[in-house]
Amino acid sequence: MASTGSSSSAEKAGAPALSADVVVALTSHNDVRTIAAAVRAATAGLSRAGGAGPVCLVLADGGSTDGTREAARAAAGAGGLVEAAFEPASPLGELPYHGLPGRAAALRAVLRIADQAGARACVVIDARIDGVAPDWVERLVAPVLADGIDYVSPYYTRHAGEGALTRGIVYPMFRALYGVRLRQPAATEFGCSRGLVAHFLEQDFWELDHAAAGIDLRLAEAAVAGGFRAGEVELGVRRVAPRGTPVDLSTTITQVVGALFADLEARVDVWQRVRGSVALPVFGPAAPQAGDAPPVHVDSLLDSFRLGYRELREIWTWILPPRTIVELRRLTEMAPDRFRFDDRLWAGIVYDFAVGYTLRVMAREQLLRSLTPLYSGWLASFVRDAGAVENAGAIDEAAERVCLAFEAEKRHLISRWRWPERLR
Amino acid sequence: MWEQTDRVLRQAATRIGDHVADFLPGALVALVLMLGAVIVATVVRVVLGRALRGLEFDRRAERLGIGALAGWPAVSLSETVALVAYWTILILGLLLGLTALNATIPSRLADAVFGYLPHLIAALMILIIGAIAARFFARSVLIGAVNMQIHSARLLSLAVKWLVLLVSVAMALDHLGIGRSVLLLAFAIFFGGIVLAASLAIGLGARDAVGRAIERQLRDPPRGDDHVNHV
Repeated sequence: MASTGSSSSAEKAGAPALSADVVVALTSHNDVRTIAAAVRAATAGLSRAGGAGPVCLVLADGGSTDGTREAARAAAGAGGLVEAAFEPASPLGELPYHGLPGRAAALRAVLRIADQAGARACVVIDARIDGVAPDWVERLVAPVLADGIDYVSPYYTRHAGEGALTRGIVYPMFRALYGVRLRQPAATEFGCSRGLVAHFLEQDFWELDHAAAGIDLRLAEAAVAGGFRAGEVELGVRRVAPRGTPVDLSTTITQVVGALFADLEARVDVWQRVRGSVALPVFGPAAPQAGDAPPVHVDSLLDSFRLGYRELREIWTWILPPRTIVELRRLTEMAPDRFRFDDRLWAGIVYDFAVGYTLRVMAREQLLRSLTPLYSGWLASFVRDAGAVENAGAIDEAAERVCLAFEAEKRHLISRWRWPERLR
Repeated sequence: MWEQTDRVLRQAATRIGDHVADFLPGALVALVLMLGAVIVATVVRVVLGRALRGLEFDRRAERLGIGALAGWPAVSLSETVALVAYWTILILGLLLGLTALNATIPSRLADAVFGYLPHLIAALMILIIGAIAARFFARSVLIGAVNMQIHSARLLSLAVKWLVLLVSVAMALDHLGIGRSVLLLAFAIFFGGIVLAASLAIGLGARDAVGRAIERQLRDPPRGDDHVNHV
C-alpha cells in the first residue's frame, strides 16, 4: 500500500503533510474482536481502489480500553495507519445506539484529514462490523471516482425485523422530505467526494448537543439537501458485533428519530418545496438473503402497543388529532391475527410527532420515547405483512407501500407545520 | 367653678380638635390609597385575566402540571391568578392605608405583613416548581415504565407525582415557618413507614417472587427486546 501517513496522530506538531487520492477511515470503540480483520480488509481494498495514486488508512478510535488501537497498529504494520486525533466523548453520557461515543468528533477529524490530504474520495467504515470484505472499499470508492457520485450510501440485505426503524420511519420520511430514495440514510458506512467533504465540514451541526448519536443521518441530509449527487451500493449482509450493553429501543428511537426531526426544523425551506421522489443509481449486484432471521416476538410487540394505548393515550392526545386516537383504539380492540396498522395512519402519526417535537408540546425526549409503543404496533403489523413470506421482494414491497403513504401524507405535514392549531 | 369647667371643656375640645386635625389628613390619604388600590386591583384583574386567556395560559398550565393550583374546579387557573392579583393589591392597599393613619398597631401589622410577603412569594414559587417537577417526573416514569412493559406503570407514576408534591408542600410550609417540628415528625414517620412496610412485604410475603424475578431478569432478555438491530 502506498500509504503516506505515519503511524501516529494526524495532528501532531511536525507530522508530515498528508497527500492521498483515497482516504479510508475505520471508526472504532472497544472493537478488539473485529478491528484486525477490518484493518486487513481495508488495506487490501485500498490497494485495489486507489490504483497507482497514494492512499491513506485512518483510524478514528473513541478512546478504546480493550487494546483496539494496538490491534489495529499491529494489523496495519509500520507506517500503515494514521490515527485521527480528537477529543473522545465522556464515558458518563448516554451511549449512542451505534456504540461510539463522540462519533461526530471522530467523523469530523476523519473528514479534516481527507480535506487536508486533498483526497478525491473518502470512505468511512464502522470497525464493529464482523466481516468487512476488501471489495467494500472498492465498491464505495468506485462510484465517486468513476461515476461522479458525491455521496455513496450502502444498501444492506436485511430480514423484515432488521432495520425496521429505518424502514418504518427514517427512510420513508427522508424520502418524502428530500425527494430521494436513499434506503439506509442512517448507515454508519459511506463514501464521499472531495467537494462533499468540504461541504460536510462547513455544516454547523458538529457542535450541537447529541450530534454524535444521529450524525450519520445528518450527513446524509446535508448531502441530499445540498444538491450533491447520491447513489447506493449493494454491500450484502451486515453483521455487527455488539459494543457493550445494547441500547434499549426507546433510547434508539430518541436518538435516531430525534436527529431526523431536528433537521426538519433546520431545513424547512428545502423539504417544503420537494414533491415526490426519484430513484438513485444503485451499483453492484443485489445480494441474496443470508442467515436466519432474528426472532421478533409479535405478541410482545402487540402487548407493548396495547399497554401504551392504555397508559399513554392521554399524552398522545397532546400530539395526535382525535381521529387518530379513535383509529388507535380500534386497533387495540382488533384480534391479534387480524391486526393491521394502516400505512397512512402510521405516516400521519410520525408527522404529528414531528410537528409536536418542533412545537415542543412537551419535553422532547418524553415525546420521542412515547412513540415507542406506537412503533411496536407498527412493527408487529409490518413483520406480519412482510415477514410471513420472508423474501427480499416482499420486504421491499411492504417498505415501498410505507414510503408511498409517507409521500401521500406529506401535505398533511406541511399543513400542520404551517397551521398547527387549525387542524386540531 | 363655672370658669374652671369652661376652661377644662375648652381644653378638651381643643385637644379633640387637634387630634381630629391630626387624624383627618391621614384618614383622607388612607381613603385615597384604598380607593386607588380598588381601582388598580380591578384594572389588573380584568387586564391580567384577558391577557392570560389570550395566551392560552390554562392549556399551557395544564400541560406543565400546574393546572391543579386553580382555586376550585369551577374557576380556571387564569381566573384564579387574576383573583389572587386582585386581592393581593387590595390587601396591600389596605395595609398601606393603615400605615398612613399613623396608628401604632395597624402600622406594626402592616410591617409584619410586608416582612412576611417574601416568604409567601417564595413558598408559592416552591409550590409551582414542585407541581411542574411532579408532573414532569410522573410523565417520565409513566413513559419509561410503559416502554419496559411494566403493567403497574400508572401506579408508579402516581406514586412519584405525589411524593414530589408532598415534598414541595412540606418545603413550602417549612419556608413559611408553619408546623416545622410536626412536619419533620410526620415525614419521618410517613417515609419510614413506607420503607418499613415495603421491606416487610418483600421480606415476608414476596421473597420467592422477587428472587425469581431477579433470576429471570439476569437470565432472559427484557420482554420486547428481541436483540434486533432496529437501525
